[in-house]
Amino acid sequence: MHGKRRPIPKVPTQITGLDQILEGGLPRKRTTLVCGGPGSGKTVMGLEFLCRGAIAGEAGVFVTFEERTEAVRMNARSMGWNLAAMEKAGRIVIVEARMPGQEVRSGDFDIDGILAIVGGHAKKIGAKRIVLDALDVLLRVYDDVKRERSELERLHDWLADRGLTTVLTVKTHLNDANFQTHYEFLDFMADCVIRLDHRVVGQVATRRLRVIKYRGSGFGTNEYPYVFGEHGIVLFPLTTTELTHQPLGPKISSGLKGLDRMLDGGFRRTSCILISGNSGAGKTTLASTFALAACRRGEKVLSLNFEESKEALISGMLSAGIDLRRSIRSKKLLIQTAMPESTGSDGHLIRTIEALDKFKPNHLILDAVSACLRMGSEQAAFDFMMRLVSNVKERGITSILTNQVNSETGGDEELSGIGFSSVVDAVVQLRFVETENEVNRQIFIVKSRGSAHSNRRQRYVITDRGVEFPDEPQPPSAIARKLSRKGGRK
Amino acid sequence: MTKSRKANRFTKKAKNGRYVFRLFMAGKGQNSTTALANLRNICKEHLEGRHTIETIDVVNDFQAAVKHNILVTPALILVTPLPKVMILGNLSDVPKVLQALRISGGAE
Repeated sequence: MHGKRRPIPKVPTQITGLDQILEGGLPRKRTTLVCGGPGSGKTVMGLEFLCRGAIAGEAGVFVTFEERTEAVRMNARSMGWNLAAMEKAGRIVIVEARMPGQEVRSGDFDIDGILAIVGGHAKKIGAKRIVLDALDVLLRVYDDVKRERSELERLHDWLADRGLTTVLTVKTHLNDANFQTHYEFLDFMADCVIRLDHRVVGQVATRRLRVIKYRGSGFGTNEYPYVFGEHGIVLFPLTTTELTHQPLGPKISSGLKGLDRMLDGGFRRTSCILISGNSGAGKTTLASTFALAACRRGEKVLSLNFEESKEALISGMLSAGIDLRRSIRSKKLLIQTAMPESTGSDGHLIRTIEALDKFKPNHLILDAVSACLRMGSEQAAFDFMMRLVSNVKERGITSILTNQVNSETGGDEELSGIGFSSVVDAVVQLRFVETENEVNRQIFIVKSRGSAHSNRRQRYVITDRGVEFPDEPQPPSAIARKLSRKGGRK
Repeated sequence: MTKSRKANRFTKKAKNGRYVFRLFMAGKGQNSTTALANLRNICKEHLEGRHTIETIDVVNDFQAAVKHNILVTPALILVTPLPKVMILGNLSDVPKVLQALRISGGAE
């Protein structure tokens, strides 16, 4: 991918997802700059780099210019790392470097004191990694950009001479217009620059990581969402682009003979199917019918539910004659529920990806797209859906998404709710139709990529035996089939 | 660590108006050697015969830097007379140093 360039030596960070973005890790014996605003996780990233190093056998020194040692230990403990034990074992030293305050200043000075301390500790434990946390606080002792710069250059040389793999963290201030020019030389000096961004979108915190530069190495150039997982930072590198999506597979049953007939045999494997309809139209019932049929064929289904609890779903489906309990017991069906508000869309995404990795389902059901809006904003919901659908398509997983529409007719513009219809392969519309003195349910196939489908609105009922069609559904017309065969299969 | 023991002895002597200085240096660095020269001049001019200078090289003794939280060098500590004072830098601004050390400009 990068010609014949010889790869530079790297140190794996073992931070989930980061090494993939950095194509192997941080540059060995070189300096990496991690910058970001308050609360973006610079300290955690530095700590994780050291802790994972310590576990892997590389000792390290953590220098904090801002926090108390005990605060650093607590910070680490919240991620499940026992710093005190690593310190005891001589794998990690924490240096609390409280910068001078009111001391009188007379003439020029150097940062040799801190270098001596770091060097002394590093030598003693044979450290290979150094984290200088909140370096900006150290630099602030100089009221002079030129001096800051020359001291930094000295620091850089000093670290390079000792062959230490270094992470410098620097706090960036959004409102500081001078910041860019102020720390430009930092960007220039470092071999690798990582920017962490912590922003609030629609009341939900979202975090993004971006690699600005990496001398002598390729790297992922996107913005990557990250969260603080139970054991440190979790990044989510998407290989993006639809190029890696699996092609649509053969037909699989929807679980209903009548619907299969309307679909000319069923849904296509690996497709993304949207079931859209008013509240009470039977979206969940239809999705569960599909899930049960899949489980009975011995396939696995992951069901994400943002609307109701697992128990409510099971009992609700039981009343429609759909018994999910056996499939759950036989571990064919996994129901994962969550309140959309409980975390940002990144958190939900990573939780889902973890479940996909672990459970390895053939099919995914998401109930409901409309609830995802409660993750914060339309943008957050859109990000979540796009990334999730893209990810399952790469894995060759069929996805069924339900979406609740509020208009009487369930208008087309609302079919996908948040505008990701380009990734949706099939749309099934459910709606209520009022006639003189009764309300009927109708099902309609709006689209079905790579397949012929019926163009009729079909009446259906939901009984205690599930979805039933009082009138025999008709298969797509011969013309529709012919047309589909000509141009439909992409 | 004979130096610090010596320092204690000096501290006792300080009761009779002695100035005890502890200067943290970084090897033969420019600022450090300048600071020592400046301190010697100040003492010669204002504290003739009433001062003691103890120097500590943090490059050789990083534990001393840890103990006294010396992050930048040179750093001068006035140990006695109390209260303690710390001055950072090469001590080139003499009036400022004298003021910080509570020595009136040579008049006494």
